[in-house]
Amino acid sequence: MAYLITREAIKEDDEGFLEASIADIIQRAKRKRQALKHGSQKLGMMRHLYILLDCSDSMSNQDLKPTRLLCTLKLLEIFIEEFFDQNPISQMGVIIMHNKRAEKISDLAGNARKHIKYTNSLNRTSLIGEPSLQNGLEMALSSLKLLPSHASREILVIMGSLTTCDPSDINVTIDNLKQEGVRCSVIGLAAEVHVCRKIANQTGGVYNVILDDSHFKDLLFQQVDPPPAAMCLESSLIKMGFPHQINVEGSDEPLTIHVDSTDESSKLTTGGYYCPQCFSKYCELPVECRACGLTLVSAPHLARSYHHLFSCLELCRTTF
Amino acid sequence: MADNGLGSSNQESTLIRQNNLECKNLYDYLKTRPPNILEKLYNHPTICLAVYRELPELARQYVIRILFVDQPVPQAVVASWGSQAFSKEHVYVSKVLSELSVWQEATIPGGLLGWILSPTFKKNLKVALLGGGKAWSMSSALEADSKARDVTFLDAYSLERWECVLHYMVGSQQQEGISADAVRILLHAGLMKRDEDDGSPVITRQGFQFLLLDRQAQVWHFLLQYLDTVEERGLDLVECLTFLFQLSFSTLGKRKAGRFYPTRLALNITNSQNKNTPDIEEDTPKGYIVVETNYRVYAYTDSNLQVALIGLFTELMYRFPNLVVGVITRDSVRQALRGGITADQIIGYLKQHAHVQMLHAENRQPLPPTVVDQIKLWELERNRLTYNEGVLYSQFLSQADFNVLKEYAQTNGSLIWYNKERRTLVINKSAHDDVKKFLEEIF
Amino acid sequence: MNNIVLPSEKQPEITSTDETSLLVVILDSNPGQKMLRENPHVLTQCVDSVIAFANSHLMQKAQNKLAIMACHSKTSQFIYPGPSKPLDVRQVDGQYEAFTIVEKTTKHNLAKLLSSENSAVITESLLAGAIAMALCYIARIQRIKPPGAKLNCRILVVTGSGSSASQYMNYMNVFFTAQKQNVVIDVCALDQHLSLLQQGCDITNGLYLKVPQLQGLLQYLLWVFLPEPPIREKLVLPPPVKVDYRAACFCHRELIDIGFVCSVCLSIFCKFSPICTTCHTVFKVPAPLTVKPKKKKIKL
Repeated sequence: MAYLITREAIKEDDEGFLEASIADIIQRAKRKRQALKHGSQKLGMMRHLYILLDCSDSMSNQDLKPTRLLCTLKLLEIFIEEFFDQNPISQMGVIIMHNKRAEKISDLAGNARKHIKYTNSLNRTSLIGEPSLQNGLEMALSSLKLLPSHASREILVIMGSLTTCDPSDINVTIDNLKQEGVRCSVIGLAAEVHVCRKIANQTGGVYNVILDDSHFKDLLFQQVDPPPAAMCLESSLIKMGFPHQINVEGSDEPLTIHVDSTDESSKLTTGGYYCPQCFSKYCELPVECRACGLTLVSAPHLARSYHHLFSCLELCRTTF
Repeated sequence: MADNGLGSSNQESTLIRQNNLECKNLYDYLKTRPPNILEKLYNHPTICLAVYRELPELARQYVIRILFVDQPVPQAVVASWGSQAFSKEHVYVSKVLSELSVWQEATIPGGLLGWILSPTFKKNLKVALLGGGKAWSMSSALEADSKARDVTFLDAYSLERWECVLHYMVGSQQQEGISADAVRILLHAGLMKRDEDDGSPVITRQGFQFLLLDRQAQVWHFLLQYLDTVEERGLDLVECLTFLFQLSFSTLGKRKAGRFYPTRLALNITNSQNKNTPDIEEDTPKGYIVVETNYRVYAYTDSNLQVALIGLFTELMYRFPNLVVGVITRDSVRQALRGGITADQIIGYLKQHAHVQMLHAENRQPLPPTVVDQIKLWELERNRLTYNEGVLYSQFLSQADFNVLKEYAQTNGSLIWYNKERRTLVINKSAHDDVKKFLEEIF
Repeated sequence: MNNIVLPSEKQPEITSTDETSLLVVILDSNPGQKMLRENPHVLTQCVDSVIAFANSHLMQKAQNKLAIMACHSKTSQFIYPGPSKPLDVRQVDGQYEAFTIVEKTTKHNLAKLLSSENSAVITESLLAGAIAMALCYIARIQRIKPPGAKLNCRILVVTGSGSSASQYMNYMNVFFTAQKQNVVIDVCALDQHLSLLQQGCDITNGLYLKVPQLQGLLQYLLWVFLPEPPIREKLVLPPPVKVDYRAACFCHRELIDIGFVCSVCLSIFCKFSPICTTCHTVFKVPAPLTVKPKKKKIKL
């Protein structure tokens, strides 16, 4: 898509030179997308996204520099950060497909740093065998199935291989995905594959094949904006907690270990947030309380998502 | 290695010092003036403004905080303004403020020591900031000018005039000559010297270093040299300085006193501190140098001066009507270093004149880091020896005596070198008297 | 024989920020402010203090840049540099000519603004809009600066208005934009405590100060807001206050600990209601566990 725009956008300027500023073109594409957004459309705001990453033999191909996998990981790192920046109350998980198996790298969670850590560690995985699209989708589906009905469920497949090695009929899996309202988008790194197109078409996702790394980035970042809500998405009121920040000065309060500090070196701190329901302590928001399952957020987190729903008016240039 | 040729090393170090161009900023210059001159200078709001801007960041905050306070402020209170982690900087800043007599120590009725701003400085800085007092720029008396010069014209004019001086220094025939006064200052500064054969001025090593400085630093250095000659000519130093600073705080391109327009060169005299920042509104002269990671230097220029400067530290390969290509090699850089040019000067010059294309690079560094590092390494290669003036102590009668003296010198921090077996040690020359006294007491 | 001991004479490392610093001051000049309604002369004092403060900013470094905006009852406007041609100001006293220009231009343009708009209707100051304008201005300056130049930008809001929840969305949008653009927002509250703007300061790493008494406004400005962000860590400044990030429910505007959020439009409610008042979505009946006991009670 981005490249079609490129071809359209090249114009001659006053002196007959071709306008070649990439930044300009990207900016214009952004504005175009922005203009297409309707304020009235229902969006899936509480996103639950699984990234299905191909880690098969084909990812060692060097058509993206330095290799397909390394290039993808680098872009994913930026993507994850941007994703949580724009969708702070959403969750994400990562699954890799290699050697005909699917392997869960990180579970659905809302912590960007953890995901980045896990994806970065992927650069040492051995890229072997063929991927199995079906196994990957099934694994994601089994986890997404359990979510409450108001959650927007998404899968993003990044596929380097042109083949998939599946244990049974993948059409059954596609039907299941459709039934559960899981939106499945695919980014192909090599060439168009029929089964990928089918998955995307059937589940309401988009399918694109990249042209080069900047196009890849563009496609990936289109996934940052929340998609339109799936038909079967139910709406409901969700109970959430808005914790107070704890004052540091309150020296009478003992130092406590945060409930969420499991893997990072446990630190003793005085600041933090208390769950208003069960008084567990957390040092970061947003988080889902481990003890009582209440979603804890702060008002700005919700406010950060408002611009998707109520988009700003377009600014117009004035001379000053 | 250290115990031979102490005498010759002294000579060496002075030689090296002579070779290098000493470049003072406003602070270094004013520091060396006696307090009564400073006090006289502070009578002018412009100078207060210039001095204020020259102060370190933290000092500026201190001054503004006590600008409206009439009583002395306890030193402990001032110290508490800075955060603990930067206490060293606080000490340094207090020293600078005292050295420039911007503030003085004063006792507070309770017996505590406090700081109080110099009354003259305070009064005139307030005038510059808030108004009051007499006008100093003469602009109020003037009619609007019908033939106002615009900024671009002035920029072009000042650039051309200054290039004239620089061209004169390298002896290129491109430009017209410069005034006898200017030549006299160049000679006085040691940037040029009379040729032994025909008496015509030729450029010196320091002159080349001067050429590598950025424009502001060049102007300031030139003015300092001029100020040096001022008193010989029977002019009043204070008046000269005042005029200079007034000039630097006038508005660009506005007609003053019916006779002159200040150009950017004059305005920038006093911001020597921030010479690395291009003004966001200034139409900076276009850079012309491209440096590649393979050490090649492409300079889009037809000026002999610029070619000569690039030739100082590169090996020139090709020359086209508007382009010179050279390559930076170990030999070419060492040649420049031997001439007293420092690595920082070379890097600074390349950076300052980097082509716009280089500035647009993604990593925001105008020069390839490998080249920068390598030039610095080549310089370090030459600095494997450091010279210290010292006094040799030897022929101790016993190991114990030797140890006592060694301990003493070590705690003093004046020990340079020692050898236990031969019972010799070298002590910093400045500590010699002290150590001698100690010896007389002990033995 | 490598025991050469060299006297170490290290200069303390003085870090200096040689970046250009751009300050945009937003002055709330809305005559509807409570403190101005009580005593209109306060504005003169505020304007004088702000101008002196702005000039002190220019005095810090020769390359520092300044813009002053007035946020009025219906519009926000740049009053320095003004929309019209710069005034031809001559030096009248010992003041540095550039400072005189700032003072004269600001007062001239502000007077024009005040005389052009004097409706009796009290409207709230559109501070969020003014901040958005300031961000646009900063973005423009960033775009036209020469390559390689570094620019530090911050916005200082000086206002006596109260917080208003009606601009909540606009405020949040400008705060997040400022955060993305690395623009620091400082707030100097003259009259009332401003919890919303305080959140903005916290988000963008700015400072928030509620001036205890208007008399010493200039001193407060100079002490707290003059140091530019890079050197603030070297000074002891008022510590950041813990900001209350609890949400206010859309139905009663009360701060709540636990609330209900609409999954479609993220509106916050303090009680369960079957229809979202913002997006009119009909919600599915809540989990049967909470409903069943109620039914039983009715039956009994």
